[in-house]
Amino acid sequence: MSSLPSIPSTSLQARSVSKAFTTGKLRSAVLQDLSLDVGAGELTLISGPSGCGKSTLLSILSGLQRPDQGDVSALGQDLGILNTRELERFRLHHTGFVFQGFNLFPALNALEQVALPLSYLGLSDAEARRRAASSLEEVGLGPRMELRPSELSGGEKQRVAIARALAKEPELLFADEPTSALDAANGQIVIDILHRIARTHGTTVLCVTHDPRLVGHADRVLTMEDGRILSDHRPAIATGAAGDDIEEPST
Amino acid sequence: MVALARKTLVYEWRRFLPAILAVCFAGLLQLLQAALVLGIFGSASVYITGSSADLWAGYPGTQSVNLGRSIDTDVEMRLLMDPAVSRVEPFHWVDADWRGPSDNGGVSVFVSGIDPRPDGLMFSQALSPELRQRLNEPNAVVVDRADLSSLGVNVGDSAIINGRRVQVVGVGSGLRALGGVNVVASLATARDLDTDSGNVGRMTYFVAKLRNPADAHLVAKRLRGATSFGPYEVWTAKNFARRSKMYWMLDTGAGAAVLFLAGIVFLVGAVITSQTLVAAVVGSVREYATLNALGVGVGELRKVVLEQAFWVGALGLLGSLALGGLLFLLARSYSVPVAFSFVAIIACVVLILGLAIVSGLAAMRSLRRADPATLLR
Repeated sequence: MSSLPSIPSTSLQARSVSKAFTTGKLRSAVLQDLSLDVGAGELTLISGPSGCGKSTLLSILSGLQRPDQGDVSALGQDLGILNTRELERFRLHHTGFVFQGFNLFPALNALEQVALPLSYLGLSDAEARRRAASSLEEVGLGPRMELRPSELSGGEKQRVAIARALAKEPELLFADEPTSALDAANGQIVIDILHRIARTHGTTVLCVTHDPRLVGHADRVLTMEDGRILSDHRPAIATGAAGDDIEEPST
Repeated sequence: MVALARKTLVYEWRRFLPAILAVCFAGLLQLLQAALVLGIFGSASVYITGSSADLWAGYPGTQSVNLGRSIDTDVEMRLLMDPAVSRVEPFHWVDADWRGPSDNGGVSVFVSGIDPRPDGLMFSQALSPELRQRLNEPNAVVVDRADLSSLGVNVGDSAIINGRRVQVVGVGSGLRALGGVNVVASLATARDLDTDSGNVGRMTYFVAKLRNPADAHLVAKRLRGATSFGPYEVWTAKNFARRSKMYWMLDTGAGAAVLFLAGIVFLVGAVITSQTLVAAVVGSVREYATLNALGVGVGELRKVVLEQAFWVGALGLLGSLALGGLLFLLARSYSVPVAFSFVAIIACVVLILGLAIVSGLAAMRSLRRADPATLLR
């Protein structure tokens, strides 16, 4: 796992992935024979109505859940052959997460929230604090890094959560509805940050959302319904990168 | 390393307070129980621990000091013949019946007949030389201050022991015994009070002082087993004291009761503590799940929970030691028999930290709910 092949232009790959959940006697298919490639260094959005399977797709691509059928590889690593502990290590070294809820420890200040996962990477205390601080600076919380969650606004909390994911310097960043709990202004700030991460760090950002404001910033937008990808298109984005609108059926 | 466990404990102290209090009170109960048991059963051996003799010679197989039977007085010579022995003193034990001036009915007493010389070995720690001097008066007795009310007498009053009149000439402290009231008299008075004709010319115990107390085990072994002076056995003071305590512990069933109660306290404390820790884990389960999503292993998260359990245990223990110490002093000032030994305290500390760790292990199981996939909804 440590000797990953040189990062391919496709950083996430799903092949014929299916997933179903059983509630009581009822078995409902959430993902049906879905295949997908996500390009490296891109901000990719997955949108769709609730229950369409977009969050499940995110959790399978990020190695939080295993598919019932099909293969998933991330950064060239087949996630299916890793055991739970190896998956944890893979996530520790390569992935960051931003969730809808901020999930910050009430007892820790912003700097400690961000430094906490870093110490498990084996970084020294000083290095962890330095990286945490620069990560918080990047999301614009430099002056507020000594504050606890109870002293921060919702938008600031989400930025702390982003800084926590970012400080690990992951190749993959997964975000689940990162703006849905935020007002317009804070939502915009978070969108800008995610955008910048993909641009400046070359991070692959995969973001589940139904926030239309995000679409203008994405390199690629996937629309899902009933466990399938309905449309896949590349909007022309503000930075001037060529957006070649393509529609391709995914299944 | 960010001290997540400690910072959470400090910041959310209200959440952890019930667990800390549960540990504290469980610890306090264990400590006080140990103190009372050691105190009460320690008084079974007050004859030995309150005296400065190194060796005790008595009837073979005697299980407790209050069960002594008489041995041949020639044993005194046998002890003195050993070069390691510097002094030997007789100790006359009489099982007797007390009738006081107030109508308390009969009270079962143990009369301790001792050599009242100022530097005598018996009760050297409980009786002042001046008090010993007063025992030289005929029919004079000394009792513990705390026993006056149960005997129904005051200093200067007369009473009847085994049909003979005695006078209470003073009170001491540290004379209270188990199983009956300890009444101290001179050897001569005790001989008068002993109505058992079989004891004439015999003595219950001989106690010996050694030139070098460190040799006690060796000398006791050397003196044991000689049969030419009639049946007798020699114990070191420490051994005989432990023998007496153990006899009372086992004979009264108190040992089993103590263990049973310790088990109950442990169980109740562990249930409360683990439930509180579970609530703390569940309260932070989304944060733990996020850490796990970020790749922090479940093992590392378990360590956080276990560390919290340890701190809860340590804080609770600190509280119980402080409270226990205060109550111990309070009990002492009211002559409640309490005592402590280093081993007992260590046992309590181990038990309480064990309680906290067991609770932490139980609380760890609720980390299973920290599944990061549940955060994606």
